[in-house]
Amino acid sequence: MEENEKKLSKVGIVSCSGEDFPEGTISRLATLEALHHKKPFDTTTICLPLFIAGGEGDRMFAKNHPVITVDGCEKLCAKRATEKYSGKVACSINVRDFIKDSDEIKNKSNLNEDEKRIASEVTDAISLKVDDILKKNNK
Amino acid sequence: MKDKKFIIIPCSGIGKPIGTTSRETTYEIIKQKPGLAETACLALLTSGDKETIKKINDNYCITLDGCAKHCALKNTQACGKIPDKSYMILKFAAENRDMKPEGMVDIGEGGRALVKTISKKIISDMDEILQDEKK
Repeated sequence: MEENEKKLSKVGIVSCSGEDFPEGTISRLATLEALHHKKPFDTTTICLPLFIAGGEGDRMFAKNHPVITVDGCEKLCAKRATEKYSGKVACSINVRDFIKDSDEIKNKSNLNEDEKRIASEVTDAISLKVDDILKKNNK
Repeated sequence: MKDKKFIIIPCSGIGKPIGTTSRETTYEIIKQKPGLAETACLALLTSGDKETIKKINDNYCITLDGCAKHCALKNTQACGKIPDKSYMILKFAAENRDMKPEGMVDIGEGGRALVKTISKKIISDMDEILQDEKK
């Protein structure tokens, strides 16, 4: 019982690193906002390259806890790496699903209003999923 | 090899201001050296993406790590590329204590000053590499 309680106390969020695309920056900002402001007591993060490169502690955490992956593109590095090393993810979010045709997505830093709005929507989606996962797992 | 570019691989860390500083420095260099400097996603490289591995092996490569874990350097080496130069933000921060990155989203004035200092040094080293190549 104690072990189960420990397992369900936190949800891991693995963000795309995406240095080469604006969507990577949006992923990181959305993840940080969820981690630090929306769900500070319910979430933790894992550094993706460290995780892929063989961070045993990170991989073990992802094996024992529900994980939400936030990817920036269709390559889905965060989701694929998590599923390869630690098992099925609880939820996979792709920033590109939040982008409308009219949005201007071009900045890797100093995000514009469209990019900030998308980051905020992704944060809300992460937060909702965290609530769902904890509610379902702690019934 | 006149078409070779500099591929700068920054730290991906999202939990500390030095990770953001690493990426902001990369973007500053790309802004200062358009057409000569580019970046690549570290996670894509680490995942074994063939296109990204080819990109770093066909060009000059610079790694810009945030901390002593050296994720960018180690993952680049693991892909068969010895970076032409590798740097660590923490070392520059220790040498420039008046330039302190403050936040993970906005690194503040101190962080931006550090970005300028580091990018100036890296651009100077890039110019040196190109000069040596011409000799």
